[in-house]
Amino acid sequence: MGRTLPTISHQFSEAEASFSRFRRALRRSDQVALDDLFASARQHLAAAAYAAHVLPFETFLLSMLLEEHKELIRLRQRVEKQ
Amino acid sequence: MSELTGWLLDVYAGETGLTVWLLDDEGSRHCLSQAFSTAFYVAGNSSHLRAVWRWFSSQPEPVCLSRTERHDLFVGPTTVLAVECKHPVGLPRLFQRLSRAFPSLAYYDADIPLSLRYTAAFGVFPLGRVRAEMQGNSICSIAPLSSPWDLDPAWPPVRTLSLEPDCDPSHAEPKGLFLSYDGHRYHQPLNPHRALLVNLRSILERHDPDLLLTAWGDTWLLPYLLKLSTQAGLPLPLNRDPAGRITRKDQRTYYAYGQVVYRGAQVLLSGRWHVDVCNAVMYHDYGLEGVLELARITSLPVQTAARVSPGTGISSMQILTALRRGVLVPYHKQQAEGPKTILDLLHSDMGGLVYQPTVGLHTDVAEVDFVSMYPSVMSHFNISPETIVPGRRQPETGLPVTRPERGLVPETLEPLLQKRLALKSALLTLPKWDPRRKRYLAWAAAYKWLLVTCFGYLGYKNARFGRIEAHEAVTAYGREALLRAKEAAEDLGGDVLHLYVDGMWVKKPGWRTPGDFQPLLDSILERTGLPIALDGVYRWVAFLPSRVDKRVPVANRYFGVFKNGEIKARGIELRRRDTPAFIRETQQAILEILAKALDANCIPAVLPEAQALIRRRLVDLRSGQIPLEKLIVRQTLSRELDRYRSPSPAAIAARQLAEAGKHLRPGQSVRFVYTLGKPGIRAWDLAGETDPRTVNIKEYRKLLLRAVETVLSPFRENGFLQEGIPIMLPSMQKTSRTASCLLSTA
Repeated sequence: MGRTLPTISHQFSEAEASFSRFRRALRRSDQVALDDLFASARQHLAAAAYAAHVLPFETFLLSMLLEEHKELIRLRQRVEKQ
Repeated sequence: MSELTGWLLDVYAGETGLTVWLLDDEGSRHCLSQAFSTAFYVAGNSSHLRAVWRWFSSQPEPVCLSRTERHDLFVGPTTVLAVECKHPVGLPRLFQRLSRAFPSLAYYDADIPLSLRYTAAFGVFPLGRVRAEMQGNSICSIAPLSSPWDLDPAWPPVRTLSLEPDCDPSHAEPKGLFLSYDGHRYHQPLNPHRALLVNLRSILERHDPDLLLTAWGDTWLLPYLLKLSTQAGLPLPLNRDPAGRITRKDQRTYYAYGQVVYRGAQVLLSGRWHVDVCNAVMYHDYGLEGVLELARITSLPVQTAARVSPGTGISSMQILTALRRGVLVPYHKQQAEGPKTILDLLHSDMGGLVYQPTVGLHTDVAEVDFVSMYPSVMSHFNISPETIVPGRRQPETGLPVTRPERGLVPETLEPLLQKRLALKSALLTLPKWDPRRKRYLAWAAAYKWLLVTCFGYLGYKNARFGRIEAHEAVTAYGREALLRAKEAAEDLGGDVLHLYVDGMWVKKPGWRTPGDFQPLLDSILERTGLPIALDGVYRWVAFLPSRVDKRVPVANRYFGVFKNGEIKARGIELRRRDTPAFIRETQQAILEILAKALDANCIPAVLPEAQALIRRRLVDLRSGQIPLEKLIVRQTLSRELDRYRSPSPAAIAARQLAEAGKHLRPGQSVRFVYTLGKPGIRAWDLAGETDPRTVNIKEYRKLLLRAVETVLSPFRENGFLQEGIPIMLPSMQKTSRTASCLLSTA
């Protein structure tokens, strides 16, 4: 592990780095939001490693979506409470 | 014919057979001899073996050759040429010449330590009780009277002589030695040399120690004494066996487990053990008790057991199992990794599960750990290099398939695991004053290291009984077990805060005492079959985020206080070896203050005390009250000095030492103090004293505040205090602050 195949953290950093040009061209406010997305995906690295998906970025995208959906549920509950 | 019962002290090759040292029940030491022939095996095609046969007839050593069938762990029954040597002392050299003449043949049992062969042949082991029958000074038969797995073995009354220079010889020139033996302790000046040698000699002869326990004996003291003895023409009987030799080994540096390790030179004696506490592996961890126990269970001679890594220890035990089973021990491993598809590689080349914990402060959290998880997995699921069926997976779980016959590795591990469990449960019940406690703790530590390295050796390409597929199978079963534990917790309504290879942090509203978590433990045991234990229930535990990015959790940086007040911390400053004592002690003191709070709600009450402490320590630092020794930073050199592109503080300090003529090697640590001006570093071991006025107070203040921030940050809301100035804490005393806002992240 980590000798033959890159570790999941390494793959994640590479994925993040591969979007550095994309990030650079975004507005500052959008950059912050993008960083948040990546930070949220990082919370599921263990699951991504266990999944051992051939295309890890798909797992990262799903992780971002997962956190977005959790936020959505949280906000919906708050709205419904009020 | 006479009979003797006592303890086996040592076995090594004598001029003809073996030299065996026994200590009898009356307390006499016996240096005996025993005939013992040793064999090794050669495999290859028959024309090669015929050539080997012819080669032997031209050699001076008398050997007995025969064709026989033996069992190769990976290949099965194999026809081999057996080479039996009458005198074990000649085997290494004979084998060296043979393997040079026929480098392409496969060799077995060629480099097995003699003490292992002896244990395999007779069942006796170092420090074990034996009964021997003798004809004069020669042993006719020997048999064990005890087992290495006894919990309370009868210990031989070993006599010890301790020798310790009055200062670290790599730091300054020692002026004398501290000698202690038999309740005496005194200081003996090094000068005049003659008096030193005469006195040492008389102690060695009169007191006749079995064990020479030294500090820096390998790297300085014994070579120094031997040089003096030659110069003065006064023989010094360091060896007890007059026919024996003093074996010296060179220093070396190697890379293991992601670290550069330095091992000093070694001086080994005959007929008497020499253990250098500064050069013994893991001595700080398990001490002499651990070393002696290692010798008992690995069958390595005491002097060797003190100096080898746990990896060598565990592979010795595997060799012993192989010898007992009649399985060939390869000289070089023959098996290479089998081919696999990229998808297989993707699914098998994984380590343990490491989660990102839920950052913040949590209360009433249980930490449950699998007990020796990887070794238990090997034992429970019978994972061994020869039991793994390559390329086969269980259809429903995707886990690797193993054969039912008991594997060599699990068989070796089983008694080890059982004894460690027995020690652990004994430790739970033994009262604090019981003298066995210290011994059991040392043993458990030694066992822990053997068990930890056993897993690594399964995947190590040069390990004789290693195989990467077996290594991968262990992690696969480990991941499965941890996920089953997580599912068990969630099925019971628990909230899993963190998973880390073999441990799980769980909380559930209403679960507060160890008893509350018992159903969870039962459920995990039922689902995994692996032993699981409750490490404890925390009053509170804080998982820390990354220092670089606060949004990113870090797997192994946390601290907390158990219900019994015990503090557990990982990955924070006080656990790091390069943290100066002043900072480590302050952080520890803060944690001890926090541990006074009986639950997290009481934390605000103890915070003022912590603040007062921090303020006091800062004043002490500014006014030069902190002893310089407590400001020493210790770092390890990771490479040769000319290999540093931008020199680290350690490299700068090492360069200063090199300029003063003291050369350090990679793996050795260097001590230094942060000073004012350029280069900002002063090596501690330079000649002369460090001027206290040159200490860089600002740098230490920064380090201290960082350590304080680490342990206090979980207790305040975000943005409540300015970054990096935790000393401005007075607002934390606000009485209006309630516990609930303190625990906002929980």
